[in-house]
Amino acid sequence: MLEIKNLHVEVAGQKILKGIDLTINAGEVHAIMGPNGSGKSTLSYAICGKDGYEVTEGSITYKGKNFLELEANERAAEGAFLGFQYPVEIPGVSNMNFLKTAVNSIRKYKGEDEMAPVEFLKLVRAKAAELEMDPEMLKRAVNVGFSGGEKKRNEMVQMAVLDPGFSVLDETDSGLDIDALRVVADGINRMRAPEKSILVITHYQRLLDYVVPDFVHVLADGKIVKSGDKSLAMELEKQGYGHLGIDENAA
Amino acid sequence: MTHKNHFDGSRYANDLTLAYSAPTGTDIDWLNEIRQKSMDAFVEVGLPGARVEEWKYTNLSSMNSKTYGVLEKAGELDAAIMAIIDDAYLDDIRGSKVVFIDGFYKAELSTIKGEDGLKLLSLNEYIKSQNGDAKTLLQSTHEVSSLANLNSALMTDGYVIQVKPNIKLSQPIQIIHVSGERSNLKALRNKNFIEVSENSSAQIIESFIGVDNVDNWKQDVTQIWVEKNAVLEIYQTQLQGNETIHMGETHIDVAEDADFKHYSLNIGAKNSRTEIKPTLNGLHGNVDLRGAFLGRGGNSHDVFTHMKHLVPECESDQIYRGVLDKGGKSAFQGKVYVAKDAQLTNAEQSNKNLLLDRDAEANSKPELLIYADDVKCAHGATVGELDAEALFYLKSRGLYLAAAKSLLVEAFIAEVYDDVAIPSVKEKYLGLARAWLD
Repeated sequence: MLEIKNLHVEVAGQKILKGIDLTINAGEVHAIMGPNGSGKSTLSYAICGKDGYEVTEGSITYKGKNFLELEANERAAEGAFLGFQYPVEIPGVSNMNFLKTAVNSIRKYKGEDEMAPVEFLKLVRAKAAELEMDPEMLKRAVNVGFSGGEKKRNEMVQMAVLDPGFSVLDETDSGLDIDALRVVADGINRMRAPEKSILVITHYQRLLDYVVPDFVHVLADGKIVKSGDKSLAMELEKQGYGHLGIDENAA
Repeated sequence: MTHKNHFDGSRYANDLTLAYSAPTGTDIDWLNEIRQKSMDAFVEVGLPGARVEEWKYTNLSSMNSKTYGVLEKAGELDAAIMAIIDDAYLDDIRGSKVVFIDGFYKAELSTIKGEDGLKLLSLNEYIKSQNGDAKTLLQSTHEVSSLANLNSALMTDGYVIQVKPNIKLSQPIQIIHVSGERSNLKALRNKNFIEVSENSSAQIIESFIGVDNVDNWKQDVTQIWVEKNAVLEIYQTQLQGNETIHMGETHIDVAEDADFKHYSLNIGAKNSRTEIKPTLNGLHGNVDLRGAFLGRGGNSHDVFTHMKHLVPECESDQIYRGVLDKGGKSAFQGKVYVAKDAQLTNAEQSNKNLLLDRDAEANSKPELLIYADDVKCAHGATVGELDAEALFYLKSRGLYLAAAKSLLVEAFIAEVYDDVAIPSVKEKYLGLARAWLD
């Protein structure tokens, strides 16, 4: 489904990713763990097409499409979703208007008609209710004045509405209390399906208690240094990155 | 001190003669005297040049070689003109419709709806029908600028709106100014008066529209009185043709407990200059000025405000937003004057500008002259670009770059029109902004 081969990425002339190979099949949940500065966020941005993340070597293919030839919005329309570590505040744009524009942009890309307003409203309300978001928040400006937990919940609502085939969640768990963490985990678990795949990027093992991954990879200095199943995450939790010979403070 | 620039008086001699009789059909001695006196005052000073601080961002040198003479009468109506009038007209507004073509009131296109306590007519009708009052009114203006004098000397028409005491107008008045092809190389000068008497209220929707490729100069001077406990809201949109020089100068006297709101959106014209000069001269007066200007491809927009707090305990608030794309230029100059006795003044001003291209220019110059010591005065001015993080966030959700930019720009200016009380006017503002972005 998602195939990353020998991926090298530079940011502002600095080599960050130095040859990543990763294949995520339909129905699988993968977790990438690693210390700060290992290139975790860079990997998520490279997959989703952020400007300034220059792929100097290698490839990213999703459902047979060469992602490197697509703009960020085209990758989203093909089914990729990025859950942000720091969701952006957008004053003056209501959540509802933002979601409607997003849904219809993707439909436009696919050559489909816009969603009927009533149908859209029903969809958004249903997803907000499932994730226990106060419907009033849908009227508010995107993420403006939201607490950390509310912002992450908002990411989960967006993901649920857009219903992506492949989701990358970039440290979605950082800075959350246990209740907010459960909301995020619930949002991710709702996306689990035989035809969908998920990549969870996290610094801590904590989230993986709730979202149990099929595979765990350890990223250090721009490379995957170890892969395993969920027991690898537990091993890291107990023994730390140092145990694998990784300098925790490399950044 | 003189700043004589570009113009000498003799070139206007013929225009003055034309202005004597063309608008009203006959010479009126007292009016001719006012015209002659105003012309003398203009010639004394001339056009403001770049060395005049208030005009430093506005280059009038392109007007140097052109006379922009007085137009004797409006051009013929054609399908194109009728279509842009239809575009500008809000048909859900049931109040009077007042149409000016090439600076002349057109009765056949207007619908004046009688309403108790409202007097609404063209300046020429007013002059013809009530000589004594008109003389008082035209002499009452306290213009100081040379351009206002030029306007008084050569204006061909205008409007007079008077709302008697204790009258709340039930519907907004719509005024549409159209400039067509006949106005090429001509100046269209109107002089307008609005008086909202004690305990009354009025709303005025004013559109300035014109056809492209007509090199003309539209110059309006408006004198407004908002009397004790009265409310006046003005909603302006400027969509002039691409070769037009558009100038609007508005003086407002705001009395005790009176409330004046002025909204504007400048999109069209080669050069636009909007001057708004409120004087708060009664306790607890309030003024809100809100505006946006959108420029690209040789557009230049100037907004000049001069807020005068002469008495204590008044409030004023200004919000202006500029969006400049490739080849667009703008200047916001906001002067706030707080007199020594105007204690407990609360004056705010905010001007933010967004540059969508490296080849765009926004100037912002707040100027606070505060002579009282117990006041709250805040101002902020910024020039920036679209937030790259926000753009990526939107694109990562599937929005095309153009749609993402539109959404962010719309959000940037939406604040200006948040409080617009008439839904169709608000929708018109946002719709015009969206159309400009697309």
